[in-house]
Amino acid sequence: MKILTTVKRVTDPDMKVKIKPDQSGIITDGVEYRMNSFDEYGVEEAIRLKELHGGEVIVVSVGPAEATKEIRTALAMGADRGILVETNAELDSDAVARVLAEVVRRETPDIIVIGKQAVDSDRNQTGQLLASYLDLPQATFAYSLEVADGWAVVGREVDGGTSTKRVKLPAIITADLRLNEPRYASLPGIMKAKRKPLDTLTPADLGVDIAPKVRVLRYEAPEERAAGEIVGSVDELIDRLRNKAKVI
Amino acid sequence: MSQYLLDKRDVEFTLFEHLKIEELLKLERYSEFSREIFEMVLNEGHKFSLEKLAPSNEEADAIGARFENGQVTVPQAYHTIHKDFCESGWFAPVHNPEYGGQGLPNVIGVALIEMFVAANSSYMFIPGLSVAAAHLIEVFGTDSDKALYVERMYCGEWAGTMCLTEPQAGSALGDLTTTAVPVEGEDYYLIKGNKIFISAGDQDITDNVIHLVIARVPGDPAGSRGISLFIVPKLRVGADGTIGESNDMRVTGIEEKMGIHASPTCSLSFGDEGQCRGYLVGERCRGLQYMFQMMNEARLVTGLQGVAIGNAAFQAALAYAKERAQGPKVTDRSADAKSVAIIEHPDVRRNLMTMKAYGEAIRAMLFNTAYLSDVALYGNDEVEKTKSQDMLDLLTPICKAYATDVGFKMTELAMQVHGGYGYIKEYGIEQQMRDVKIASLYEGTNGIQALDLLGRKMRLKNGALFMTWLQDTNEFLESIKDDGVLGGLVKDVEAAKNALGEAAFSFVSTGMSDPEYPLLHATPFLRMFGLVESARLLLEQANIAKQRLAQLWETRGVESSDATAREQLVQENDAARYYENKIQTAKFFVYQILPEARAILKSIQSSDRSALEVRF
Repeated sequence: MKILTTVKRVTDPDMKVKIKPDQSGIITDGVEYRMNSFDEYGVEEAIRLKELHGGEVIVVSVGPAEATKEIRTALAMGADRGILVETNAELDSDAVARVLAEVVRRETPDIIVIGKQAVDSDRNQTGQLLASYLDLPQATFAYSLEVADGWAVVGREVDGGTSTKRVKLPAIITADLRLNEPRYASLPGIMKAKRKPLDTLTPADLGVDIAPKVRVLRYEAPEERAAGEIVGSVDELIDRLRNKAKVI
Repeated sequence: MSQYLLDKRDVEFTLFEHLKIEELLKLERYSEFSREIFEMVLNEGHKFSLEKLAPSNEEADAIGARFENGQVTVPQAYHTIHKDFCESGWFAPVHNPEYGGQGLPNVIGVALIEMFVAANSSYMFIPGLSVAAAHLIEVFGTDSDKALYVERMYCGEWAGTMCLTEPQAGSALGDLTTTAVPVEGEDYYLIKGNKIFISAGDQDITDNVIHLVIARVPGDPAGSRGISLFIVPKLRVGADGTIGESNDMRVTGIEEKMGIHASPTCSLSFGDEGQCRGYLVGERCRGLQYMFQMMNEARLVTGLQGVAIGNAAFQAALAYAKERAQGPKVTDRSADAKSVAIIEHPDVRRNLMTMKAYGEAIRAMLFNTAYLSDVALYGNDEVEKTKSQDMLDLLTPICKAYATDVGFKMTELAMQVHGGYGYIKEYGIEQQMRDVKIASLYEGTNGIQALDLLGRKMRLKNGALFMTWLQDTNEFLESIKDDGVLGGLVKDVEAAKNALGEAAFSFVSTGMSDPEYPLLHATPFLRMFGLVESARLLLEQANIAKQRLAQLWETRGVESSDATAREQLVQENDAARYYENKIQTAKFFVYQILPEARAILKSIQSSDRSALEVRF
């Protein structure tokens, strides 16, 4: 079974992100990066599928040269080979999906398991767009996945509960955080990862135009939350909610 | 429980920018690695310490190790940790890959140990002792010993211990009474005797425990010259590694200790029935020599406990000081002045800065020494190898004693920052203080380290080690003495270094007529050496930070004289803030802590013998 998964290099969610004074982006000096945490679930699931069904796990990233680090981490966890589509351009989800679609066409995997969204931009679009570009079935927000006889049964987390979907492979599955518990890259895994193949391509090599369709006008920090206030009584609280906050 | 926090930036700065460990990639032994791999290893190690080791630290302290019906148990969480730790390959990261180690440089190993010990110091006794014992077998054992034990111990399948101390033979190991009697026609000796204070002496995790026991063969010389070293498995082991019956050794009890509660410190009895088999390691009567080779490594790891726990306590205090609001800022004279976070108060800042300066200095000291050991073992150039070994020998007792005293002091300052909350269990500081204290006592008390420094290391090669250190320090100070930013500090470091030299030479003459006098001052002398070495390292770091800052300013078009632009950059840029802080740290250490070195010289030169003359 040929399994394709993806990793995005994102700013460390534990770090405080600062916006540039001209609001054109975030300050990237001294910012720490790591693998998007939803991708960790995707990579883990891909490796589990390989362990169950045999085959190969290919890990793809679209981004700067430094993203080889995140690919290597996935290789250290157990993926077999990596592909970096290198670009320093600002990418919207659509451009990433177009690049991935071309990689999928070339690699023809049996299944594509990726994170449901990235924790930096939280856009939650790439998987859906990818399915659309490839005209393949999709099952998003997976909390369980079983593969047999060319079909995948996917438990999905949806608003108000769960649903189960059966999709014919190849399909795009996007991972939610209850899908599994991502493993740690072991020290022997890290040592092995350095010898695993990692190819670097460019969007041009793939013949994909990455011009953005979405234009970011400016970045704004959320308004700082004002300090809380202790009210004297329940009546006062209701009064405030009704007349000041106007929420009831 | 306070969260376990690590200053990863400082760890990486010390490794890559200060010590420039990428140089190690030029050595054949490490040529397969890359900076990228080092960074991945550090990241994964950090993640493991944070997510797997730290969560059970407090609970394990409360449960502790137990001894019931002759069986030692450790907290259940340690069973899971051990399995994960071994499977992830963290058990023997720097050891020989032929036997299941990962072959990483020692300097990466110490950075990992800092993280692991800070997160869960009690658990780390199991891998620490096992790997040290296995390494000893790897270096001095026979081929069949190596085949039988080393890989199993590097992978954590079997544990190991070092059995030295006996009730009447602690610092004076030559007084031991455990015997090893050769058996006609067999390859083993029969061991008989009692050992105490055996760290991780037993547990209910691993299938077997391989003890390395020092004992005397009857008829061999008395004292330390007649000591031999034996491999004594808890359960007998067949030639193919199968575990057999009991080897007639048992645990007779575990200690109730101040700290490291979850690490069982055992009393062991060997050969109650006269059936305990021990296998000689190397040659007879050379046991202590073998042991001491490993003791030097163990002393560095002990020093690291000071680095790890001291720095973790500092990070906890720093986080607390930013959150805890008490009292208005002293400069706020308004009528309705609001309470500010205590980090705004000068007295709290002094405590925090003291911890920061100490903590970064001892981290640099231990990492530097580990780097020296890499070069000494695997360097390309013979002269450089010898010099590294010399510096390693000279600095080891300082790393052990100074770093553990300072580490303990840091937990005390961290408690002070917490106020009364530090004294209760909730914030974890009191556990850190209890856990780190042992480090100044075992692996040779800090008093013994001071004697080793003054009585042995300072005299090795007729004092050439110290002279080399002085020369290197002089050259470094000379190279930055005209520096606009750091030149002012050089004068003070130079004075402290000269005081150290003066103290060392004064012992030569006073020692002739009054041999007790230098020993009376050995501990302050070691402290003095630690202070000067700290200042040297912090100044080296500040010098690098200054260069990095200049580069940053240049790319940002910031004038060094423009305080507003600099401040703006510090606000925006974490690297700029880190480097500016490095320079402040060196300044603080030199002006606020280093003066003690000159005070120590004064006390050494006083000729005061009152402690010897008093009638207690």
